[in-house]
Amino acid sequence: MEQKELIRYIEENFKYNKKIQKIDEKQFSITVEKDKILNILSFLKLIDFKQLALITAVDWIKENKFEVVYILFSYSHVQQILVKTFIDRDKPEIETIKTLWEVASMYERDVHEFFGIDFIGNDDKRPLILHNWKDKPPLRKDFDSLKYSNKIFGKFKKDEEND
Amino acid sequence: MLLTSTKDLKDKGFEEILNFFRKKSLWMLHYCTGCGAVELPPTMTSRWDMERFGMGPMATPRQADLLLITGYLSVKSLKRVIYTYEQMQEPKWVIAFGSCPINGGIYYDSYSVINRLALYLPVDLSIEGCMPRPEAIIDGFTKLMKQIDKGEAIGYKKYKENYEWYKKNQREVLERTTPVLEQEE
Amino acid sequence: MTEILTYLGKDQQYEKYELFFGPNHPGMHGNFSYILTVEGHTIKKVDPDPGLLHRGFEKLAERRKWMQNIALIPRICVPEPDINEVIYSIAVEKLMGVEVPLRAQYIRTIILEMARIGSFLFGFGGIGGATGLYTASYWSFSDRDYLLDLFEWLTGARVYHMFIIPGGVRRDLPSGWTDKLSETVDYLQKRLYEYDRLIYNNPLIVKRLTGIGKLTKEEAIEYGITGPNLRATGVKYDTRKMVPYAAYDRIDFEIPIQTEGDGLARAIQKREEFQLSLDIIKKAIKDLPDGPVRAKMPNPLKFKVPKGEVYVKIESSRGEHAYYIVSDGSDKPYRMAVRGGSYTAGLVLAQKILVGMRIEDVALWMATMDICPPDFDR
Repeated sequence: MEQKELIRYIEENFKYNKKIQKIDEKQFSITVEKDKILNILSFLKLIDFKQLALITAVDWIKENKFEVVYILFSYSHVQQILVKTFIDRDKPEIETIKTLWEVASMYERDVHEFFGIDFIGNDDKRPLILHNWKDKPPLRKDFDSLKYSNKIFGKFKKDEEND
Repeated sequence: MLLTSTKDLKDKGFEEILNFFRKKSLWMLHYCTGCGAVELPPTMTSRWDMERFGMGPMATPRQADLLLITGYLSVKSLKRVIYTYEQMQEPKWVIAFGSCPINGGIYYDSYSVINRLALYLPVDLSIEGCMPRPEAIIDGFTKLMKQIDKGEAIGYKKYKENYEWYKKNQREVLERTTPVLEQEE
Repeated sequence: MTEILTYLGKDQQYEKYELFFGPNHPGMHGNFSYILTVEGHTIKKVDPDPGLLHRGFEKLAERRKWMQNIALIPRICVPEPDINEVIYSIAVEKLMGVEVPLRAQYIRTIILEMARIGSFLFGFGGIGGATGLYTASYWSFSDRDYLLDLFEWLTGARVYHMFIIPGGVRRDLPSGWTDKLSETVDYLQKRLYEYDRLIYNNPLIVKRLTGIGKLTKEEAIEYGITGPNLRATGVKYDTRKMVPYAAYDRIDFEIPIQTEGDGLARAIQKREEFQLSLDIIKKAIKDLPDGPVRAKMPNPLKFKVPKGEVYVKIESSRGEHAYYIVSDGSDKPYRMAVRGGSYTAGLVLAQKILVGMRIEDVALWMATMDICPPDFDR
């Protein structure tokens, strides 16, 4: 289907609140409410959006919200869809979609580690990439990377004691 | 150099003779810690042919002489590198590639990459460049050979002497129990 | 004799143990680790342990200005760094609405295909290394150097070029460069037939690769496998053709596919795409138009990018390499998420497909799947 037809089809058949925005000829975004994320993703999977390309998050610290982004692709329509939803930053929780895609569990583990977002139903919360991490999740906007680096790695003075 | 007594031979001469042979057969550990490793295959294979200097890759740390830190080192890698270094048998040398192990390089503000390798492991030689070209790598190797010949490359002895100091630095990074930055709440 | 041994060992059970396959393992490609639970030689459980190359690019990019990031991002992926610059530049251009001159588009295409060939040559070396055919590695690494020499002539650096920038490319091609490139392409074409004889007509390698990590179309799509590995299962999809970028919409080419989806099919697919890349370079050199190589851009240290978001993907040698970039209208990116080409293959598919294989197959599977650790460590 062409993008216009596809958008019309989604608008007619997906009943819940949504906002569709065109990005360019080959991609558009759909913003839905937090508890409808499983509905929209399973709906899109049924109309042949079979590839889950990425799950990621954006920290909108001024609005006190996290934006969770699911990026899907369809090989038959050749269209990219960015499914987005906003969750509360103080209580970052959202349902897991690992029942829909197996690869989702790894992306969710990744996002959990870097943003501290809890995916309800995904119990695999073992640290994946960081070693012995005690601070707040590093990709949050209020985590200062330079300050952290200077404090833990940048000890140039000590070197003189050694010689 | 003139060796006059048995004691002299034991103290100085033996070491020098050994160093002469050591420099001609350096085996580097086949462990790619960072992106500089991509220039090692050209160095090893036909175009630059490292083997003419008596160097070759070795798979196990216990039989290797040379540990290459090929570029940046994340905290998680640092732990593995320290294990590896301590498994290697003496004499052993460490070569650091590029600017990242010297002061963090382009990753100076990264939360995951160490800034100064010399705090955690004794570095015998640093090769500049991001990443070092094969010529620079070969040049670095020949410089290390000269250092070994003169008996100047003694990082492993320093490591033993200042073991507590190195361990303390390593523990500060690897075995934290409290957050580094204070939490605002 | 074997009967006696089997008889003697009939009550013996293999012991289960944990094997750390990497990071310091000769069969491992790069700095990465699989924790394998093994019974005898057979793998029972796989637990990937990435993060050894983690540098926090997504955080670092937020701290730097739009133009400063050009120095940072090629370092995400070592064997094929140019793809990162191209994705980033396309994303910035899309957000700003900049039109890139045609000559720059063609130069980008040539650079991308050269990087792709370099990566395939690395892949040949990987297959050679994993099967014990070291001749292949020696040949391919020295052939790759011909391409690196051209890169050096063009950009001054062998590996990280930082040549493609938002708005076009840094400078025009030096005179005589395309002639030399044509020569190199002809040389590589000649060598490709030698690789055919060395690798693909080698009964040992063919036998060894057959059946390794077989995937069906549906599985490949479900697990997010992309690029040559997807095409090896029979899906006729190529981002260069379907969602064209650079000058690919002006260059006519046919997408090769295989149908078996096993290790051999993937290796043959890569050989076919090697050929395709050579053809594309030839066509691009022939059609290379004259004109400027850079669109007019604002002051590089000050320019701001309008508010917006975009997901840009391109076809790398390992599959779909993509960035999701969000701008809030300031002089720095607000968020940059990286999707590496082999993320799902290395972390998720491995947990399923390696079970039941033998230890010695892991390195070969990684070589045919082109698992590249920086993709998931970032």
